[in-house]
Amino acid sequence: MSETILELKHISKRFPGVIANNDISLEIQRGEIFAFLGENGAGKSTLASIIFGMYSPDAGEIILRGQAVQINSPARAVELDIGMVHQHFKLVSNYSVTENIILGREPIKRLLGIIPAIDYKKARAQVQELIDRYDFDLSADDLIEDLNVSSQQRVEILKMLYRDAEILIFDEPTAMLTPQEIDSLLAIIRRLREAGKTIILITHKLEEIKLVADRCAIMSRGHLIDVYDVQTTSTQLMANRMVGRQLSFQLDKAPAHFGPAVLELKELSVIDAFKVKRLDKASFTVHAGEVFALAGVAGNGQIQLADALAGLVQHSGQIILNGQDISQASVRKRIQSGLAYIPEDRHGVGLFLDFDVTENLISKQYYRPPFAHWAFLQKKTSQRYAELLIVRYDVRCAQGPATIVRSMSGGNQQKLIIARELDTHADLVIFVQPTRGLDIGATLSIRQRIIDERNSGKAVLLISLELEEVLTVADNIAVIFNGNLTKVTPAAEISLAELGEYMMGVRQ
Amino acid sequence: MNQASSETKSRSTNWLLRILRYPRTQNLVIAILAVLMALVAISLVIVIIGKNPLTVFVSLLRGSGWLPKPRYASGRSMLTDFLGLLDALTPMIFAAIAVAIAFKAGLFNIGISGQMLTGGFLATVLIGYSQLDAVLAKPLVLLVGALSGAMLALFVGWLKANFNIHEVVSTIMLNYVVQYIVSFFIKGYFIEPVSRQSHTVSVASRLTLVNVQIGAVETRIPLCFLLAVGLAGVFYLILARTRLGYEIRAVGSNRQAAEYSGISSRRTIMLTMALSGAAAGLAGVTYYLGYYNSIMPGDLSSVGFDSIAVALLASANPLACVLSAMLITSLSYGSNYMSSVADVSEYIASLLIGIVLLFSACSGFLKYLVNRNNLAVDQSDDREEPGSTPATGGD
Repeated sequence: MSETILELKHISKRFPGVIANNDISLEIQRGEIFAFLGENGAGKSTLASIIFGMYSPDAGEIILRGQAVQINSPARAVELDIGMVHQHFKLVSNYSVTENIILGREPIKRLLGIIPAIDYKKARAQVQELIDRYDFDLSADDLIEDLNVSSQQRVEILKMLYRDAEILIFDEPTAMLTPQEIDSLLAIIRRLREAGKTIILITHKLEEIKLVADRCAIMSRGHLIDVYDVQTTSTQLMANRMVGRQLSFQLDKAPAHFGPAVLELKELSVIDAFKVKRLDKASFTVHAGEVFALAGVAGNGQIQLADALAGLVQHSGQIILNGQDISQASVRKRIQSGLAYIPEDRHGVGLFLDFDVTENLISKQYYRPPFAHWAFLQKKTSQRYAELLIVRYDVRCAQGPATIVRSMSGGNQQKLIIARELDTHADLVIFVQPTRGLDIGATLSIRQRIIDERNSGKAVLLISLELEEVLTVADNIAVIFNGNLTKVTPAAEISLAELGEYMMGVRQ
Repeated sequence: MNQASSETKSRSTNWLLRILRYPRTQNLVIAILAVLMALVAISLVIVIIGKNPLTVFVSLLRGSGWLPKPRYASGRSMLTDFLGLLDALTPMIFAAIAVAIAFKAGLFNIGISGQMLTGGFLATVLIGYSQLDAVLAKPLVLLVGALSGAMLALFVGWLKANFNIHEVVSTIMLNYVVQYIVSFFIKGYFIEPVSRQSHTVSVASRLTLVNVQIGAVETRIPLCFLLAVGLAGVFYLILARTRLGYEIRAVGSNRQAAEYSGISSRRTIMLTMALSGAAAGLAGVTYYLGYYNSIMPGDLSSVGFDSIAVALLASANPLACVLSAMLITSLSYGSNYMSSVADVSEYIASLLIGIVLLFSACSGFLKYLVNRNNLAVDQSDDREEPGSTPATGGD
């Protein structure tokens, strides 16, 4: 067995009202991929933040390369050759790849022998050399704003490598990536291990751990359950350990009973601000009691379709909801005619993060009775409504209706959006990536909600890039590729592999 | 060793942090902290120039009518000073709430000065130079001021809503446009040759009563002070309790989410700018047809710019704006007396205001420092109640 590079001894950390880490001890070996596995709120991010110096532990010590160390700031962590790729990237968007990577550690040359200046030539060469060595498919001169999410993530990785990091921490690295991008990221992680790096991978996705990790620490509610050898432990066992109980992956899905058509799309097209056609003449029908899934790799026009339905972007073609043409209607008019929309971008579109739970729950109904009387908001009514929805949809918020949404966990923020949308009793519910970034428990609960909606006679449009989700939840599936609907089929008549091929555009 | 010392340190600062972090009063506590820090900083300066800070502060308060002066000239008293302070305060309150309401919609109305001048100039020309009775003239002055300020700001809102022209750019540019157009008209048609200012407005139209005898005391009475405080209350209620207020805060908090919720951000932006401009116009008439009675051509009032900082100190809460406007105006109003009595330069008061505003502008940073540990928790997604279990399939 190789040597221990990092050892945590009895680490504890508490936040007001929460014990995030309770007496955690573990050892990480040099050159292994070590995963922290746990659901949202298990304390894995906190533990990683302690290693990276973002928090100081209330108790316990960290032993790095055989010596006890105090890591009291990220800067100190970097000095100790620890690097971290955060879930939300920290890049300057109008700087080039090189400029971002050298930021804070620029190679200096002396102009005329005295004036210090940044040696861009040298920096560029160093960065390009790193890119080539790890085969990163980037150019040192690309601007960050021109890069997609997975390329930006590679820039973050390069930033650590440029600083000679030996221990690399990845916080939920795959949360924002498409399936193909996940594969290439996992390949990169393997390559980093071959180059002798030690990797700490924080995730709640079992498949990824099974694919790359050597060992895995399972955490639950601040406690370390145990450390497992990934090769010799079954996925089912790890899943059960993670949630602390037997999990069924089965959804309760009764046979579908289609009602009349609720949504009819006729030749819907969207041309964006740059005059690029994002959606080309999409036509389909969704019936009452049906889950109609739109599968596709991100960026193929599905978000534009959802936004066009909600009235958020300009579009041509006809949208008929309950027999009524709403193509020209305002956003509010569409909501009133029975359209609920759970958007992909929860923080950017779905929520007012600085508002409390109540104000978020009434955001689509605040203007009408009983939430408003004339020009005045009825605060008490709204608050009672919020209390009701919190219970009915099992939203966990520390201060009840007055909780500021920013302070809630991602899963509960999503539940909040779902509560608001479903409680308008709309005939058509659009779910976009409803389970992205959520743990297994929350994911299953939301998928079951989707099916419950359908069983109660609602029309559901599900837009997702997770094949498994599409196949288990949907009744009918349409594949979207490059703005075109390439295949429409009942879910029962297509296999996972076939669906993947359509999504990738291999089959037309 | 190291750890033990850091623990005692954290325990001793704990109560302070707890007060500072308490969400309901946080803005107020941090504003007070900013003011206290500014007082400490300016005390150092005063000590360095060899004076007693306490005398300086007391003379400031005496000058602005909060404390009695040792002696008064005939016909003057503490009341004279205090009502004079309220007279100067009135336009500041209007201006500060104008900034505040725009701020709540995410709009930075830098154009308060221009909107003040527009309102003040039009009211001066249309009503101030007319022969109307006071009963008619005073309400009309207010109406013209509010309407013209609102129209100018509405134009800014319209540019923003339809062409996405940033309000900071358009308001700064419009400030110049208004300043020079008004200057052109005053110099061409309404100039008083001796004072080089516009002709004074009629007594009937003026919003401040001057040379009023109350007993033996001669004083001035700002007629619109209560209106300003009342409007601050109205703005507060609009923001907290009405549909429009919800829309304003929604657009200011997240414009995309507002659109998604069915709120028309264009309509909201234009309405908010109109409200802001109306308050700015009222600031204009209470300044140019109240505190003063004429307009200096080619000059923009500093009230319009100071009000931005006043609103920031108040965290854009219209009611708190009344208090912060009171503080800032007291400092500047008392400076005259302070400089003559305490024998320090008048600029010490300006310096004090500057430092208070500087620290209040840093209040966002202070808040960040105080909340740092808490904020980090939010980002890590690790914040669920203890003992919470993940939800299982449908209930």
